[in-house]
Amino acid sequence: MVSTLRLFASVLLVLVFAGPGLAQTVNVYTAWPESLSQPIFKAYTAKTGVQINFIRLSTGELVARATAEKNNPRADVMWGAPGDGFAAAKEAGIIEPYKAATAEKIPAELKDRDGYYTAVSKNTLIFMSNAKLLKEKGLKAPTSWNDLLDPAFKGQIQTADARTSGTALTRILSIYYAFGKDEEKTVDYQKKLHKNVQVYTKSGGGCTVPASLGQTTVCIAHMPDAMEAKKKGYGVVVTFPKEGVAAVIEGVALVKGAKNREAAVKFIEWTFSKEMQDLLDKNNVYMLPTLPGASIDADVQALMKEAKLLPVDLEWVGKNRKRLVERWINEVIRD
Amino acid sequence: MNGQAARDPVILPTVIVVWAMVLLFVLYPLSRLLFLTFWNEGPSLDAVRGLLSDWTHRRALVNSLLLAALVGVAGTALGFAFALLAVRGRVPTWLGRALDAVVLLPLISPPFTAAIALIFALGPRGIISYHVFGLTTVNIYGLSGTFLSETLTYFPVAYLTLKAVIANIDPNLEDSAFSLGARRWRVFRTVTVPLATPGIANAFLLVSAASLADFATPLILAGTRFPVLPTQAFLQITGLYDMRGGAALCFLLLVPALAIFAGQRLWVERRGGSYVTVTGKVGAATRVKSLSPLAITGLGVLCGAVALFVLVCYALIAAASLMKGLGADHHLSFAHYAHVFSGGLKAVRDTLIIAVLCMPIGGLFAVVLGFLVARTQFPGRRALEFAAMMNYALPGTIVGIGYLVAFNDPPLAFTGTAFILVVCYVFRYSLAGTRATTAVLAQIDPSIEEASSSLGARRDVTFRRVVLPLVRPALLAGMTVLFIRAMTAISATIFLVSLSWSLVTVRILEGITNLELGQASAFSMLVIALVYLAVVLASLAMRRLNAGSLGQAGSLLGG
Repeated sequence: MVSTLRLFASVLLVLVFAGPGLAQTVNVYTAWPESLSQPIFKAYTAKTGVQINFIRLSTGELVARATAEKNNPRADVMWGAPGDGFAAAKEAGIIEPYKAATAEKIPAELKDRDGYYTAVSKNTLIFMSNAKLLKEKGLKAPTSWNDLLDPAFKGQIQTADARTSGTALTRILSIYYAFGKDEEKTVDYQKKLHKNVQVYTKSGGGCTVPASLGQTTVCIAHMPDAMEAKKKGYGVVVTFPKEGVAAVIEGVALVKGAKNREAAVKFIEWTFSKEMQDLLDKNNVYMLPTLPGASIDADVQALMKEAKLLPVDLEWVGKNRKRLVERWINEVIRD
Repeated sequence: MNGQAARDPVILPTVIVVWAMVLLFVLYPLSRLLFLTFWNEGPSLDAVRGLLSDWTHRRALVNSLLLAALVGVAGTALGFAFALLAVRGRVPTWLGRALDAVVLLPLISPPFTAAIALIFALGPRGIISYHVFGLTTVNIYGLSGTFLSETLTYFPVAYLTLKAVIANIDPNLEDSAFSLGARRWRVFRTVTVPLATPGIANAFLLVSAASLADFATPLILAGTRFPVLPTQAFLQITGLYDMRGGAALCFLLLVPALAIFAGQRLWVERRGGSYVTVTGKVGAATRVKSLSPLAITGLGVLCGAVALFVLVCYALIAAASLMKGLGADHHLSFAHYAHVFSGGLKAVRDTLIIAVLCMPIGGLFAVVLGFLVARTQFPGRRALEFAAMMNYALPGTIVGIGYLVAFNDPPLAFTGTAFILVVCYVFRYSLAGTRATTAVLAQIDPSIEEASSSLGARRDVTFRRVVLPLVRPALLAGMTVLFIRAMTAISATIFLVSLSWSLVTVRILEGITNLELGQASAFSMLVIALVYLAVVLASLAMRRLNAGSLGQAGSLLGG
């Protein structure tokens, strides 16, 4: 008994004090699914020998964690999460400004004015419909925001919950900009849309499976969700509303007080190099790279020809995000 | 021995150590969180004000209570039906075992699996709803789906509790009633049910408490139309970046959770825990006639249908793990398992290490605490017991965030280590073992220990040589529960996994939110297999210890 206890005590001591204390590592919090982020991190390790330790968390979990860890940060870089999470992180004081050498080339609407974060990619909102269900119901894939209000779509639309998902915010912003920056019209439209919504999913991609399997006809999500479903062989159709959609920016930022600051900075520099930006295409990330001149997936490029991308004012979003979400909670989903 | 305990040279240091641990790992993180919630550059009730003004929060409280009550009633009723059939239905042994195995499935599988399986089975294009019955308008999101999924998940708790209770009702009592000329229904109503009532109440409270704290099921199935508190708290923290509001919501949940716990204590206390007889077989093997063949048939049909439904749900998960993409590409594929055994192996290994580490530490802690509570007298004994169970009654989200806030800074910088996960599980789930210990001790005469003492043994020697062997079944049960919980818990640990230690359940959640459904299913199947193995081993060990069976450990799962 006593020797067993001693054994466990020593095991515990080892566990407590032996962290990942190897030489060159960067600790990364990312909201990107492993399938998207890991190939890119691996490429960096292969190139530099620097180990990337990462945890995948939803944006909200990521910010909540980093905030709780503020006084003793565990992560060095926040990498690949929607812009609103970075706005919150900036406000919470958990990230610090850092501009990569190539950041100058990246358009202003894709980075924070004070340099707190920069977009690694642009992630377009799309309508993804189940081809078989459309056919069964004699419907056409929606090509306007107003198409979604058709009573034929009652209980046939799934999309993300604004309390958990960056995708939902992109949807709200899309509607806001598509309807001429009129907040009342935005809320009014969403109330009408709500009548057709079957369920609001926790994550942005949460409706991908239901739409792929035919549990719901339309899923309002992001490009990678739809492309992955296509790649997996599900019969889905991707369309865009003619009024336009917004694209969420996927940010990258240096964590304030990062323990491996030097290595983290190098990793961020690499993130905005052409070499890495080309990897998005090579690894089927299906987002648009932010560095001009980087290669774009051919399928995405073809699809984007039909898309009208609406410019988003990050500054305005940072200030108004909370109100937009609260109006969604208090006015739209209240029935 | 009362009173002397406080001056006992062994008991006193033990009490101090246990108190210190409870203070550090239960009360300290909780107080940090309370501070965060109610102190914003001075005392602040902002968080509470937010609670009262937001309709979703008010509705969430009402919904949580409603759901807990409904699931409690339905789960207990279903559990009672299964227990009656198992104990009094004269089912063949193999069938009883098979029934147990099926019923255990939802209880030991990782969270989300039942909810996901339900979407597959009863969703708008579900295998049962659409492909069997041709229904296209079934809406399982909201109260109905959450209710159904939680009832399926938690009725086994009621079943295992009630099975033990009914098995321990002396059939001679029923026989006497029969011999006095009473009819079956009357015997059932006036003898069987009243004798089972404390068990029924206990089962109801256990199931309700489980529903009240459940976070995974509503996250998938409740939708926006049916907000409940644990999910709402999680959303507040992770979606609105509002930790203060989320914590306040959790504290709101604490009130009904503690009420249920208090209610349960009251029941058990009033009955002195004596309705579960651990030792001693009941009367002679009389033929129990309390169920008519017709009633048995009815119960058989009901339970058979439920068991079949559970099986279908899990068969769907199994199918999803073995196909390229359930619903689209039904070709056999081992790709998902290949992923689990390559990229996912670290999570599996980490989870197993943590689960195995939890067992001796948590088991010992549970037994020591149970012994202190049941057999010694010292000032603050009740307070210690109450404090120790706080983490159990609290929703996981709040425990996880509390730990994150409290144990991130030196000198208590435990976040990122396996240690924090082990501690979290030990202090959250060892209550089952503690309860088992007190139950066992309640049936052992203290004179056995007194004999040891009077022969000159010190208290620690008595504990090691007399008490520990006696409570071995409780220790084993507690350790089994800890293992199962460590393999399947999600809500607290989602905030505690780290760069070095990841967990399978977190991978499952990831898989579910990222369209990697096949992968999530493969991970789930693996967890189910591992846990089944553990439960079987534990019940074999129990049989060897001659201490009841699996049911004992199972019934502790809900509590």
